Amino acid sequence: MKPLAFALLLPCAIAFAGSPDLAATILSHLAQPDSAQTQFIEVSYRGMLDRPLITSGTMKWLGGDKLERDVEKPYKMIAKIGDGQMSVQRGNGAVQSMPISRAPQMDAILSGFRALLGGDVAQLSQDFDVKAMGNEARWVLTLTPRARELQSRVSSIQIDGRGDAPRCMTMTEADGDTTITLVGGMAKAGLQSAAPLQSALAARCRND
Amino acid sequence: MKIALYLVWLIAIAAVGWGVARHLRISSDLRSFMPPPQTADQKLLLDEIGEGPGSRLLLLAISDAPDEQLAQLSQSLKSALQADPRFLRVSNGNADLNALASGLLPYRYLLSPTLDTQRFDADYLRDQLAQRLDDLSSPAASMLKPILPRDPTLEILKLAQRWAPAKQPALRDGVWFSSQDEALLVAETRAPGFDPGAQREAIAALQMHFASLPNSNRARLTISGPGYFSLEVSQRTKAEADRFGLITTLGFVILLLFAYRSAVPLLVTALPLLSGAVCGFAALASIFGEAHGITIAFGFTLLGVAQEYPIRVFSHRRAGQDALQSVRALWPLLATAIVSTCIAYLAFFASGVAGLQQLAVFTITGLIVAGACTRWLLPRVLPERFRDAANAPGLASAWNFLAHLPRPRWLPWLVLIAGILIVTFAPARFWENDLSALAPVPKNMLMTQARLGSELGAPDVRYLLVLHAPSADGILHLSERITPQVDALIARHAVDAVELPSRYLPSIETQRARQARLPDAKTLATALAQAEQGLPFRAGLFAPFVADVEAARTLPPLTPEQFQKSPLGARLQAMLLQHDGQWIGLGTLIGVHDPQAIAALSKSTNGAVHLLDLKASSESLLIAYRQRILIALGIAALLLCATVTIALRGPRRALHVLAPMTLATLMVLGVLRLAGIPLSLFHLVSLTLAAGLGLHYALFFERRTDDPTEERRTLHATLVCVISALLVFGVLALSSVPVLRAIGLTVALGVAFHFTLSVLMAPAARLRHED
Repeated sequence: MKPLAFALLLPCAIAFAGSPDLAATILSHLAQPDSAQTQFIEVSYRGMLDRPLITSGTMKWLGGDKLERDVEKPYKMIAKIGDGQMSVQRGNGAVQSMPISRAPQMDAILSGFRALLGGDVAQLSQDFDVKAMGNEARWVLTLTPRARELQSRVSSIQIDGRGDAPRCMTMTEADGDTTITLVGGMAKAGLQSAAPLQSALAARCRND
Repeated sequence: MKIALYLVWLIAIAAVGWGVARHLRISSDLRSFMPPPQTADQKLLLDEIGEGPGSRLLLLAISDAPDEQLAQLSQSLKSALQADPRFLRVSNGNADLNALASGLLPYRYLLSPTLDTQRFDADYLRDQLAQRLDDLSSPAASMLKPILPRDPTLEILKLAQRWAPAKQPALRDGVWFSSQDEALLVAETRAPGFDPGAQREAIAALQMHFASLPNSNRARLTISGPGYFSLEVSQRTKAEADRFGLITTLGFVILLLFAYRSAVPLLVTALPLLSGAVCGFAALASIFGEAHGITIAFGFTLLGVAQEYPIRVFSHRRAGQDALQSVRALWPLLATAIVSTCIAYLAFFASGVAGLQQLAVFTITGLIVAGACTRWLLPRVLPERFRDAANAPGLASAWNFLAHLPRPRWLPWLVLIAGILIVTFAPARFWENDLSALAPVPKNMLMTQARLGSELGAPDVRYLLVLHAPSADGILHLSERITPQVDALIARHAVDAVELPSRYLPSIETQRARQARLPDAKTLATALAQAEQGLPFRAGLFAPFVADVEAARTLPPLTPEQFQKSPLGARLQAMLLQHDGQWIGLGTLIGVHDPQAIAALSKSTNGAVHLLDLKASSESLLIAYRQRILIALGIAALLLCATVTIALRGPRRALHVLAPMTLATLMVLGVLRLAGIPLSLFHLVSLTLAAGLGLHYALFFERRTDDPTEERRTLHATLVCVISALLVFGVLALSSVPVLRAIGLTVALGVAFHFTLSVLMAPAARLRHED
């Protein structure tokens, strides 16, 4: 299994690309076989909190619209998404399920995710305005939701990558909260600070 | 002149009919046709429940379109139905967090069970806040963010989960989907299942809402549920009755043309019956203001006797005599038949049951008017020219054939003894207590219902848990008290799930206890500050939480009336009923496996809770009803005997009339019993109609006359009557709908037996006087 060359997940996100040709090329590189997985480090900047939340673990795509996100640090939590349900198990506690409709952006994100892993620009373009910038070696895909309902929650999703490997996914929510998820090599390299500044982390995703 | 009178008559019928149609309300509520309930369960069944909450549920499936479209349709249909007052509740799986009206939000601390086991102290809050911090980096973050400052312990979420249906189908695109890719919804009608008319309105509204949704033409809506079944079944029954009606009308037309070689009888034969019917309706409208649909169906059946009157007039016209003269000759006998039948139906009027009284008023008025029209109007519109029926070809030989049939003296005794033995000892069940067996729901519809019902976890339609207490709060209290026992029943798989009133609203005592455990503002602020230490929450973030807790401390406990403002208020309202100064709570059962185990709740609560078996209660009602009808019929039979005896001046002649009637009725019963057919109300009414026709045959065959042509006319009239009745009801007996078959078979058999026995038991000397 090729490491899920890119990551995704939510609390929210996905992304995609500039010129249609570039977007299609990048997508074709990103397309995955039936399943894939990658390590991730997720840094959430929330208006309610004084400092960012950092979690890390493994993200798995189990085929279809099924995703699993196993958080290993700083706590254990397994989140599964698929079939319209979202279930969360914290530690060894009970599994709590709820319909995905309670978190409406999840639906669109999932369909974007499916399209991304399936390499399907047309499908992805249905839900998002897809822009790609840069070149095949070094690119940025930006997804802007088309549905007004989703727009009210998610402003944009941006994916930075090199060749066939995504590096970071940045989701900006409508209320300004931002989540930056490092995947693949970036996740392996780790963070340089216990509370990285959002601007510094964004710059690392793009430049490094 | 004759034509003018004919037209005036027609116009009068139309005018009265039009007036009646405007004033008479046709009721479809079975309660107005039922006798007053006797037992407490029957009373509850009729007065409050209809046929139980399960019977109000319509299960809906939208299919044949892509998932997203189905989900969209499901959502739009839900919104449309929620805005429609004919529906109490609609669910499609998309439970929102607004289960509690926003004005009632502070009440969440009194409604959620959290405080039963926890206190809002520093330890608990610390644990909760740490969990919320984790949540903020989980997939659920975006959902939680808006409620976090106000509700860090997530009571709103706990209530939404508590109030979600016990068993739910899979969710896709946010709404329920079946395993066969249909979007599923449950709609609860306001109308009870008892009221097919109101159910029909609700279903029509539902179909209209669906049809007006965009893209609905590309998808298919399947409706299931008791209300839909009764509508569907009655429509099918009506369609089949109409189809057969067309066939028999055609046959009747041919028969009349053949019998009288003239189109005139055809044009006037229906007038007396129609006149009787419209006047019967007018009497109902002026006395009761309304009539039940069943009254009308039964009444029309019984009024069928009047179709004989004009036929007697046509057949008995004598060459050289004008129509009035022959009617005058006929009248004493016809009047005897009419008067004795009417007097017999008086028994129904005395029954004390509104439905039967309506039946009596309709039938008696109808018969009298039809008779009067036959006597005074019909002869005046008949033309001078006609053929004397006595000379009809073949009639004389038919007469000879009948006259020379063997008439063994032992025949009546044989019929009597065999009849009694068969009726008594035939192995079949005597009575049909399940009315639905007469109008069965098609198998494929039942299968759809079973499939959707199990996917949706629909409540049991047969059993209901009934709670008794002096007050609404007493019900809630009792409901809380039995919850552990109910949970034990669920654990033992006696039942899959139970929905009790306290699931939505705790008792005042419980609310007060929770309230007492809420900290005051200062204590809470201190605990919160302690809990927040070392956590990155912004200062003052939880001020809305502190404010809500403070508000909740001083709230008066939530009552059912206030709770009505909530989206689930209507649900609770349907579970709490005031009845005879007492309160009754209803608990819905889902998936009943062991009714006896559930019924044992009654013992452990000293009868405050009991399992209501709706099927048993409605059957016991039906049995009570049938007993009343049987008593009424018994009295009717006695009245008939008395009237006939007086009219015929002595028991000897009366016996010639009454004996064949009685034996023929016994024979019909015997055949039905031998065929293994359990008897229903429809059979009883049909037997009564057949007996009414049989009375005519016997009366006319018994008539003294020395004129052979007149005897042939009697035979002619009787044959036309018998053949037309056999035609109409014999065809009905072929119906695939059991209720139509019951009526058809019973009357057809009855007519055949009444005719045969009237012929065979007519005074032999009189039949053979030609010899």
